[in-house]
Amino acid sequence: MVRTARLSGLQRDVLALYRKCLRAARAKPADTRPNFEAFARREFEKNIDRDKKDFQTIEFLLRKGERQLETYEAPNITNIAG
Amino acid sequence: MALRLASRRFAPQVFRRGMATTIEHTKEPIAATAEATSASRPPIPANKTSTEHEPKKDENSRIKTFNIYRWNPDEPASKPKMQSYTLDLNKTGPMMLDALIRIKNEVDPTLTFRRSCREGICGSCAMNIDGRIPTDTAKDSKIYPLPHTYVVKDLVPDLTQFYKQYKSIKPYLQRDTPSPDGKENLQSKEDRRKLDGLYECILCACCSTSCPSYWWNSEEYLGPAVLMQSYRWIADSRDEKTAQRKDQLNNSMSLYRCHTILNCSRTCPKGLNPALAIAEIKKSMAFA
Amino acid sequence: MACALRPTLLRQALAAPSKRAFSSAVPAFRSQRQSVKPSWSSQRAAFQTSARRPILPPLPQVIHGSVNDPVKTPEPHPSHGSYHWTAERLVSAALLPITIMPFAVGSLNPVLDGTFIGLIIIHTYIGFQSCITDYIPTWRMPTVRKLFDWANVLAVFVVGWGYYEFETNDVGLTEAVKRVWRAGSNAKEVADKAS
Repeated sequence: MVRTARLSGLQRDVLALYRKCLRAARAKPADTRPNFEAFARREFEKNIDRDKKDFQTIEFLLRKGERQLETYEAPNITNIAG
Repeated sequence: MALRLASRRFAPQVFRRGMATTIEHTKEPIAATAEATSASRPPIPANKTSTEHEPKKDENSRIKTFNIYRWNPDEPASKPKMQSYTLDLNKTGPMMLDALIRIKNEVDPTLTFRRSCREGICGSCAMNIDGRIPTDTAKDSKIYPLPHTYVVKDLVPDLTQFYKQYKSIKPYLQRDTPSPDGKENLQSKEDRRKLDGLYECILCACCSTSCPSYWWNSEEYLGPAVLMQSYRWIADSRDEKTAQRKDQLNNSMSLYRCHTILNCSRTCPKGLNPALAIAEIKKSMAFA
Repeated sequence: MACALRPTLLRQALAAPSKRAFSSAVPAFRSQRQSVKPSWSSQRAAFQTSARRPILPPLPQVIHGSVNDPVKTPEPHPSHGSYHWTAERLVSAALLPITIMPFAVGSLNPVLDGTFIGLIIIHTYIGFQSCITDYIPTWRMPTVRKLFDWANVLAVFVVGWGYYEFETNDVGLTEAVKRVWRAGSNAKEVADKAS
């Protein structure tokens, strides 16, 4: 695999958050797991058009994402509108 | 994009006007936006827009302008801005919170702020207002969230760090020995009197967020509110972990970033004196 | 730099005129024209609209651990805490009488002068150290913090050496203050003599 561009710190943070989301989805019951994965993907795609130099906004969204992840990874949440 | 360009080139004049309104989302050069600035119709002159029976303005009304900090997290790329609301003070309660509740009820339901008891007990509605009772109609009132906090929305600050710091001082009675009668831990009247002026704190975070030292070092410095609560438990005669509580503050950051600026005592809505409590901690640690 | 970023700025300006509390597209031009200025102002614009570059801009909020965990309690260091505070107050309190004493007594004692200078140096050192601790947090800029701490220590030695030279080769601190205080009191005589 050839990596074309080196990622900035912020971009790596975003990818790390996405990876964390997928990892958290793995802890969910097998039949609802795709719902969680789809939800995470949709949340990220909502902001796919963000200007990559708009640091403040991206940092805010990262923070918000972390909080959402914290909420949804609780074991008592077993399903989500996928 | 290509489709839009094509339509711009070939569409008749009427449609081109319509297309120009989409400039908000295009990345086109300035020339394209010039279309939006020229109105399709000349504006109606003012003498033709007045209604016949305008309701008469109340002579005694006291109109005051409130400038309120607004920021919506659903549009994260937007910058915070000040929004003005005007209210007649004769129809509004005497408190700033009355004005805010009235704005939210009657003018703008999207305005967000924390409030619960509206009598200075819960500490939810702490915000940065200038002045206590907004009766001077000549002056605008500016309302901001608590200074140097991360804003969740409009006037709602994120106090997570503040609560985490409060938790770190263990704000509860710590005893190893059981109480003498197995039921209650009794206290003399003199010992109880030591807690007056400390226990009334409602944890509104007004003092901590007004402290410049806390602005610069909120990660490590505990801030006046938390230190006063710490002293509330150090001063408590029933508590048996006083030494540990003091040890916890015995470093360069937690306590000793207080430089007796005294903003905390000036700003406290309950009239308490956090600066005095901090001074008492310092004194008891210096000569112990 | 500014040129390279202009397309982005233009896009931002056009994408949301309402962001800047402007209602029509016309002010968007204005903001676009302004944005030829240094690019950071619109990239990281704070609530202030003035062109101001913060030295230490606020970082994004980071919560260590979960929301319900208490913040970490640091190890007790009495030498940076209570002992430090007590010493600081003692030095400050000791400076008061020792400042007045040579003038009140009217004597020039080199030991007294030396003590005075020593306390002044310690007092200044603690004062600057306090500023450094306040404004250069270790967790954020460890290298700069170390640099400033050592510069502060170096300043103690440089100033101490300077005072030493002044005491041994010149008139000394108390006498110098005395002379500066009285400077000009005989200005008339000097002027008379000169003319």
